[in-house]
Formats: sequence, C-alpha cells, structure tokens
Amino acid sequence: MSNIEKKAAYPFERIAVAVAFSPNTEAILAASKRLQDTFKAPLLFIHVGSHDQQQESYLNEQLQRFQLNGLGNEVVWETGDPVDKILEVCKARQVDLLVAGALEKESLLKYFLGSVARKLCRKAKCSILMLREPDLLSRPFERIVVEGSDNPKTVNTIEAAIYVAKAAHARMVDVIQEEDPGKLALIRSDAFTDNEADSNREKVLKHEKEKLDEILRCTDCGNLKVNIERLEGKPGFVITKYARDNKADLLVLNSPDTKLNVIDRVFPHDIEYALADLPCDLMIIHSRIDD
Amino acid sequence: MNHNETINLLVAIGIMLLAGRLLGEFFRKLKMPLVVGELLAGICLGPSLLGKYFPQLNEVVFTTQGHVGLVLNGISTVSVIMLLFAAGMEVEFSVIRQQSKTALKTSFVGLISTLTLGYFSGNMLFPYFGDGAQSSQLVFSLFFATAMAITALPVIARTLMDLDLFKTKIGMIIIAAAMFDDVIGWILFSVVLGMMHSGTSSYEFLNTLGLTLLYAVVILTAGRILINKSLPWAQRNLSWPGGVLAFSLGFAFLGAAFTEKIGIHAIFGAFIMGIAIGDSAHLNEKTRDIIHQFITNIFAPLFFVFIGFKVDFIANFDLVLVLIVTGIAVVTKLLGAGLGALWGKLTVKQALAVGFGMNARGAMEIVLGLLALQAGLITLPLFVALVVMAVLTSILAGPMLKYLLTGEIKLSVKLSDILPVKEGE
Repeated sequence: MSNIEKKAAYPFERIAVAVAFSPNTEAILAASKRLQDTFKAPLLFIHVGSHDQQQESYLNEQLQRFQLNGLGNEVVWETGDPVDKILEVCKARQVDLLVAGALEKESLLKYFLGSVARKLCRKAKCSILMLREPDLLSRPFERIVVEGSDNPKTVNTIEAAIYVAKAAHARMVDVIQEEDPGKLALIRSDAFTDNEADSNREKVLKHEKEKLDEILRCTDCGNLKVNIERLEGKPGFVITKYARDNKADLLVLNSPDTKLNVIDRVFPHDIEYALADLPCDLMIIHSRIDD
Repeated sequence: MNHNETINLLVAIGIMLLAGRLLGEFFRKLKMPLVVGELLAGICLGPSLLGKYFPQLNEVVFTTQGHVGLVLNGISTVSVIMLLFAAGMEVEFSVIRQQSKTALKTSFVGLISTLTLGYFSGNMLFPYFGDGAQSSQLVFSLFFATAMAITALPVIARTLMDLDLFKTKIGMIIIAAAMFDDVIGWILFSVVLGMMHSGTSSYEFLNTLGLTLLYAVVILTAGRILINKSLPWAQRNLSWPGGVLAFSLGFAFLGAAFTEKIGIHAIFGAFIMGIAIGDSAHLNEKTRDIIHQFITNIFAPLFFVFIGFKVDFIANFDLVLVLIVTGIAVVTKLLGAGLGALWGKLTVKQALAVGFGMNARGAMEIVLGLLALQAGLITLPLFVALVVMAVLTSILAGPMLKYLLTGEIKLSVKLSDILPVKEGE
C-alpha cells in the first residue's frame, strides 16, 4: 500500500488545478485563489498539451494578477492524454484535491463520449472539485449539500464536507439520506401484508438513520447548522435535484463504488445523475477505502 | 354476450377474486407465497374439483368455453402482460451495475451454469416427456434451460427481509443476480417462443434473436430518454395517479402489441417497457406502489385462478415427473448459482445460501409454464410438474437460507400464525 492510500480524505494539504487555456482559465484561477485562502494549501497547476512561450507568459501574468505566484505554488507542464497525465501527476505528487472547471450540461454526444472534466470525476483516485461554469466573481460555499447514504464511504464524505464547511465558513450543511424506491418496492411486494411491509420498511430506514446519527454524533460540527433530510427517489438523482432546488453552492458525494463506463451513462446511478446536469459546484470525496 | 352470460362472467370474476384472495391469505399465514392459494382456488373452481362434481356450473360460469370463456381468456392475456410489466419494473440495472466484480461473476457464472445444466437436462428429458408437445428437441431444451434459470424476486426479497439480510452484501448479491437471471431468462424465453412460430433454422433463430435484442436496446436507450422526458410532463400535467397509471400501462400495452406484431411474444414488449419505466428516476415511489398494487391484487389473482380453469391438475399430476423436474430444478440452481458464488470467492455455506435463495421460482415460473403450454412447447403433465416445482422451491428457500446462514431451522407453523389475531392480544 502506498502512502497516498493510507492518507485520510482531508485535510486538503495539496491541491492541484487543471489548466486548459480555455475561456474559463481566469475564472478557474480566481477560484483557485479562494480555495488557497480557504484551505491554506499549496497549489499545483497542471497543463497537459503542447504550449508555447506566449502561453507560459500568459499563465505567469495571470498567476501574478490573482496573487498566486510563490506561496509554494508550482506549474507542471505535461504532454499526452490529458486525463491520464493529470491523474498520474496527482498520484505522484500525493494531491488531496483536484480542481477542474466544467460545463453545467454537455451535448448528448459529448456526455456519452465523456469530456476531460467528467472523465476525471469518474477515474480520479483523489477527491475532486468540479467548478460549474466558474466566473471571476467569488462564489463562497454558503450552503453545502452532502450525501448521507448507507455506504462505508459516507463517514469520510460527511467528515470531509464538515471540514470544508468549517473552513469556508458555510451557513448550512444539508445531509441527505436517499431512499431507493426500487429496493423498497421489493419489500412492498405481495409476499407481505401492508403492516409487514411498513414495519420492514421502517426497520430498514431506522437502521440507516441510526448509522447516520452515529456518524454525525462522532463528527465535530462546531457551530454549523446541520439539517438532515430523508428523501425518496433514486440515489444520486434526488440529491442532485435537492441541491438544485435549494440553490446549494456545493454538492458533496461519495466516490463511485465501481469503475464507471458508458453503460453507467445509459443506466445512470449515483454521481452520474449529478454529472449529467451539474446543479452547482460538485465535490467527490475519495475516501481511499478499497473499491 | 347475452344477459345470462354477462351475469355468469361477473359472478365468475367476483368469485375468482374472493376465493383467490381468501386462500392466498391463508397460505401467506403459513409463510407460503400468495400464488399458492390463488392456484388452489383455481383448482377448486376448475375442472379438477368443481367441474368433476358440478359439471353444469363449470360449463357456464368457471369456463374456458363460449363468450364467458373468451372474455376470461382475454382478461388472462391482459393480466399476463401486466404481470410481466410489473416484473420488469422490479429490475433495476443500476443495482446490478453497482455490484462488485464478485457479484457480477456470481450472476454470470451462475446463469451460464444453470442454463447449460438446464439445457442438457431438457435434452435428456425430451424423449420421455417432450413427446406430445409440438416443439423440437432444441426448442424444448432451450425452454427447459430458461425454466430452470428464472427466479422469484419477491420471494427472495421476503426471505432476505425475514433473515435481516436485505441490505447486506450477500443480500444485494442475491438480488442483483436474480435480476440479471430474469432479464436474460425472459429474453431467451422470447427467442424460444419466437422459434416456435418461425422455425428452428439458424437464419430464423438469428432473426428472432436479432429482433429481440434490437427491441430491448432501442427501448432501453432511446425509449428511456423519451420516457424520462415525458414522465415528468405526465406527472406535472395529468391528474394523479390516473394520469401516470394510464401513461405507464399505455406504454406497456403498446410495447406488447409491437413485439407481438414483429413476431416476438407480447410479454417481452411489456417486460422491457417495465424495465424502462421502472428504472426512471422520475417515477416516484407512490406511483410505483399504485401500479404494483393494481396489478398484483386485481390481475394476478385472476390470472392464477384462471390457470385452474384451463388445467385439470389432478388428472395431469405425475408424481415421477414432479420429482424429476423438482430435483433437476434444485440441483441446477444449487450447482449453477452456487458455482457462480464460489467463483466469486464466497464461502461454501454462503454459496449454498445464494443457490437456495435463487432456487425460488415463484409466480413467474408459472407464467412461463403457461405461456409454453399455450404455445404447444410442453405437455399438460409437464406444466403441472413445473407449477408444483415453482411452489416447492419457493417454500424451500426461506428455511434453507435461514439454516445455512444462522444455523437454525424452523419448518413448523403455529396455529396462531394462521388464526386471526384478536384486538388487544
């Protein structure tokens, strides 16, 4: 087991930022400055692809403009496949959080083929923050929505979300417990009477709620306002909808349990719903628990 | 239909629903599937018992002949389409996809082993029990393989829930593997039924297989996109729950009609449509529940009771055949699903538990058997043997799983389990 695999999901001691020289570059750098101020971590700017002297000078100028030069920050220039190279650098440099900009929604074809940012989300072995269509105006994480599903990774995800909320002086954290109607429907099958079905359903849900309460009891939330919601619907879909409806600033989810591929986009589940249509900035916590 | 026939039809439907429900509830108290009571109600009302002693009543009320019989046959066809739609709604691809490699290996190896063992068993049985049916040895063997592969999700869910294993890793492996088996099983069965219509040449086989897969792929991709766009519209703009109910069942019947038209059985159209609608994130739990209740409490009992009208279970009961079919069913599933589980690195005890969990065939096996009987694939005694096997394997699943996973075994039922409990007790 390498050192990175033993490391906790937080604090974010090293943050990498994917830079692509797109129209969003300045906005990404502005957001990077905010993240550096929030987490007090050195930044690693990674650009993959050919570049010239002009681009190098442009980046240096912008780093200076956003007061990002020095402070232990570095720029890494690489060539090759953007996704593989970025992830390689993240692994080699023991990055805790990778930051990338992304469109809210992509065209159907691009979504199924996979853009760089979304591929990073599906493949990254470190936590990742997708900034939804970033702009130069600072958007602090005031309201954070976090997944509270029954999964061994959830404890790390909630702790990491609380850590982010405290560092960013968030106003509120919503912990969302999702009830999968498909699985619950099996309990409601004709093999049970209504009373049996209700008591079975309560048994399942009570067990999940107790686990979540235990996680929150053991997590130091300080003065944060923590709201627990139990919602019916497909996991991933319902939390994405909640984040959008409640105008959340950041949605925090568990990393996927299995390797995701195009079949998961055809039959979406969990983070695929958020990736299909980003409701706000999205953070995927890689708890470094075995997949 | 004249005045008297209308009365006879209404009496038949009323008694079918009441008798099916009462006997079903009695068997549920005995921890057996509801379908056992519904079948027994049909056996009592049909030619097996009532028909024997009151043939005149059997000819006009509980009948498969004349106008009343025609309408009851129509209700039976509609019911089976709805049942397959509900079975499709129980399948969640995301549950299968979310499983680890272990679970996927369990499902895949389990299914291939079960199908292979089932195929060879069917091949061996054909000379003895296939005689009299209109199918070839190949089609009969393929059907037998499918019949061995089918699982009963509700029975498995109930058993896992009773054992507190529903949300555990092994519980989800069993559920995912059962869903996988059902999808492949119904695709294969549709191909088998298609071959009955079109013949067994390799061109016709590939043609049927190609059409089946094409329909499934189109509905589960483009169809799902359409459903995901129109379902929120229906929920927003149509009255609830009627709007969504009509919308869902409307799609189910259109899908069924389409597949029937292109030469695949109607059930397949409804099954795939059930997966597409049931898998939609826009379908809320209450709507899902209403569709399920509507189908399982009205149409399922009518269908299972009506089976008793069609078949004389007593005259067609062949003990040797029942023992052989049940024996093969248990062995193929235990070996098949068990091997899959062992391949997926589960312990021997856990692998046996997976095998017994998936051994429950339940109501879907009876649906499969009846469709095969109607298509001329199998004979009446084999159908009866499949029904008995479906009931026995469903009853066996609970106690065996409990024994294997907890070391306890309880086969007895207390009188208080059956008698109604008085208030305050």
